[in-house]
Amino acid sequence: MTLRYPESKMQLPPGYRYPEGGFKGRHILDMQKCAGCSICAYTCKNIAGAIKMVTVEGAFARNRKRIFPQIDYGFCVFCGFCVDTCSFGALNMGQDFELSSYDKKQLIYSPEQLTASAGSSGLARFIVSRNGAHHRE
Amino acid sequence: MVLFSLPEPFFTLFQILIFPGLLFALLFVMFMVWYERKLLAKMQVRVGPLYAGGLEGILQPVADFAKLLFKEIIVPKQADRMFFILAPTLMMALSVSMLALVPLSPTNAIANSNVAILMIIALLSLSPLVVIVAGWASNNKYSMIGGLRALHQMTSYAIPMSLSILGVVLMAGSFNLISIVESQKSAWYILLQPLGAIVFYLAALAELERVPFDIPEAETEIVMGWETEYSGINYGIIMTATYVKFYALAVLFTELFLGGWLGPAFVPPPIWTILKTFLVVTVMMIPRGVYPRFRIDQMLKFGWTTLLPLSLINLVLGLVVMNFLG
Amino acid sequence: MEGGSLSEVTLSIGPQHPGSGHFRLLISIDGDTITKAIPDPGYVHRGVEKQAEYREYLQNIPLLERPVISDSNGSVYGYVLSVEKLAALVVPERAQYIRVLMAELNRIMSHLYWLAIYGIFLGHSTMFMWPFGDREVIIDLAQSVMGTRLTYSYFVPGGVRNDVPEGFKDKVLPALEFIEKRLPEYEAIFVENPVFVKRTKGVGVLRSEDAIKLGVVGPTLRGSGVNADARKDEPYDAYDKVDFDVPTFPEGDCLSRSKVRIEEMRQSIRIVRQVLDSIPQGAFRTKHPSILKPPHGSVYARAEAARGTFAYFITSKGDKTPYRLKISSPSFRNLPAFGFLMKGSYLADMPTIYWSLDYWPLEADR
Repeated sequence: MTLRYPESKMQLPPGYRYPEGGFKGRHILDMQKCAGCSICAYTCKNIAGAIKMVTVEGAFARNRKRIFPQIDYGFCVFCGFCVDTCSFGALNMGQDFELSSYDKKQLIYSPEQLTASAGSSGLARFIVSRNGAHHRE
Repeated sequence: MVLFSLPEPFFTLFQILIFPGLLFALLFVMFMVWYERKLLAKMQVRVGPLYAGGLEGILQPVADFAKLLFKEIIVPKQADRMFFILAPTLMMALSVSMLALVPLSPTNAIANSNVAILMIIALLSLSPLVVIVAGWASNNKYSMIGGLRALHQMTSYAIPMSLSILGVVLMAGSFNLISIVESQKSAWYILLQPLGAIVFYLAALAELERVPFDIPEAETEIVMGWETEYSGINYGIIMTATYVKFYALAVLFTELFLGGWLGPAFVPPPIWTILKTFLVVTVMMIPRGVYPRFRIDQMLKFGWTTLLPLSLINLVLGLVVMNFLG
Repeated sequence: MEGGSLSEVTLSIGPQHPGSGHFRLLISIDGDTITKAIPDPGYVHRGVEKQAEYREYLQNIPLLERPVISDSNGSVYGYVLSVEKLAALVVPERAQYIRVLMAELNRIMSHLYWLAIYGIFLGHSTMFMWPFGDREVIIDLAQSVMGTRLTYSYFVPGGVRNDVPEGFKDKVLPALEFIEKRLPEYEAIFVENPVFVKRTKGVGVLRSEDAIKLGVVGPTLRGSGVNADARKDEPYDAYDKVDFDVPTFPEGDCLSRSKVRIEEMRQSIRIVRQVLDSIPQGAFRTKHPSILKPPHGSVYARAEAARGTFAYFITSKGDKTPYRLKISSPSFRNLPAFGFLMKGSYLADMPTIYWSLDYWPLEADR
């Protein structure tokens, strides 16, 4: 029943969106939709304090002040309430969970880093039958 | 099996150091450690060692031993320094001495002694002494409790073991292991004295502190019992000594009850002994995955009120069978 | 200390011990008998109740589910019930059934975890590996619905956060069959193992009068013959619409407490099957203002988590954060049983009794 990680990885459900649900991995930010309202930072402030709004370069149609969320994964608890409260659908969660690093500063993901939609999903699935449960590719 | 003829002192040295002596025993012990981990893993729906050494982790025991060599030997501040460092070496000396007394075949015997059985029983009775020295020298409440428990256990189970060996000695008429094996040409003693085999098996599990009798190293209450304070190569020596004793007792079981090196001639005699030892070792490892551990008073009660009468009954039955067989 | 004989030794089965968890047990032993056992909780106290006063009602959920991560839905259940009572929210039917389903799956997970730890503490390494492996099956199910493996933040006051995906029933039914097939195997190798029976029969006997006097909850209480279960006494959500039994065993020793938990797993499977058959369509969350401001008042509500009755007492003064949040966790309620049961027993029985009470240090300290 052992999964031979990291040679094989589990197949994951699609990323978390409200209200459909899904896998709560690293956040994915759509900078064209985000309006900089900071409700995600307000929601997270009392839960984990992981989201901070920062200013970025560039011109965005919806975001006159150019502020976007920056997420610190040293604090994030992956509860997904920030995604629930985003009224523009700009912040969603993806399938990436391999986020460890050697340096605490590398855990702070800037808004541009959050737009990358890398995934850690693999091909192995759990097969459960009356006889046993196995991981199969 | 004499591969090549060497002059006399060199041949004995070859036997002591290489085959069937130290080098072979250590290699077999390393194989046994890997085998136990793989066997338990398969029983527990998992894979055992996998990555060390390429193929299914065969070099894992080597990696573990190398790691222990690199660790610091921590001697507690108020421990009895001399005995703390000496105790594992004493254990190793006892186990390796037992190794010298069990021959793998008539031509592969390091010491063909006429009182081999007596000496083995004496060595087994010395092991609780070493354990209590190790527990006391650690200057630790938990180690003391563990050492006392090991003392109780090993002493209580040495007696049924000696009585079951005595049953075989009565039938064979000699204390010499080679003669005992030769006298099983007609029938293996496991068929003539099945009770004795069972008693020896259980007593051996208790002497080796294996599950379900591993109360002296019951991790949950007394951390590791008398082995708590040992780190680094000190602990490596204790582990090796335990497994060498395991190997020696398994070969002893093979020669007392399973006919040693007797078998069809297409396989050389020492290989027969090794194969049968392998079987015995497997059967001794299986209870580790099946049973939780006994409590100390239940275990002592079992040793005195069940195993001891069984071994006495086995003696009487052996005498009766001997009478009938003439 | 008076009355101690000269040969009495005080052991501290302390926080740095492979046999204790984050918890300290001060034991005085005389030879091999325990004369006194004083539990010493508090090593993991994080001030959860005080921290909850600075968070809004919705933001409290990730905080409150973390004390008990092996059964996170059970611990949050009491909280959402009490907030709904306070704010007079009506939970839609579909959400009620989904919550029952998830809570029962979590109960199975928690009991498998308990079974594994009980095995390893009695020296049975196989019993440690099997339940942890089987738990993965249920964790996989939970991940497909709720997104994370152990701490979900799924229950909210007013329902659940997202609906169960399509095809969930086809995934759950084989998993339930698998667990049902494993339970007799666990019984054969562990609960009916002669060595295990010898170690737990007649050990740590808690009679029903003493159990009620000490105020213990959960399987500890039900293993002493007292039929008390918050799901039947004060039914909440859809528990009055499903059919299940509450197992009790009268002997009160460690063996009966173990048997209670295995039977509870079977009953949980029964509940999950009934819920899957009769779950109605509909909404999964009511509409409520995003910042909840319940009216003045205090409310008390309890739910039956895997370890026992988990109760919350919330006082609100009309703000968006609670004024006072009091948590009554089952492990804390079971603490008096330690001193009572261990007195007079052997030292080797200490792990047997300790783990039959299913103590979770984080939950007791909050």
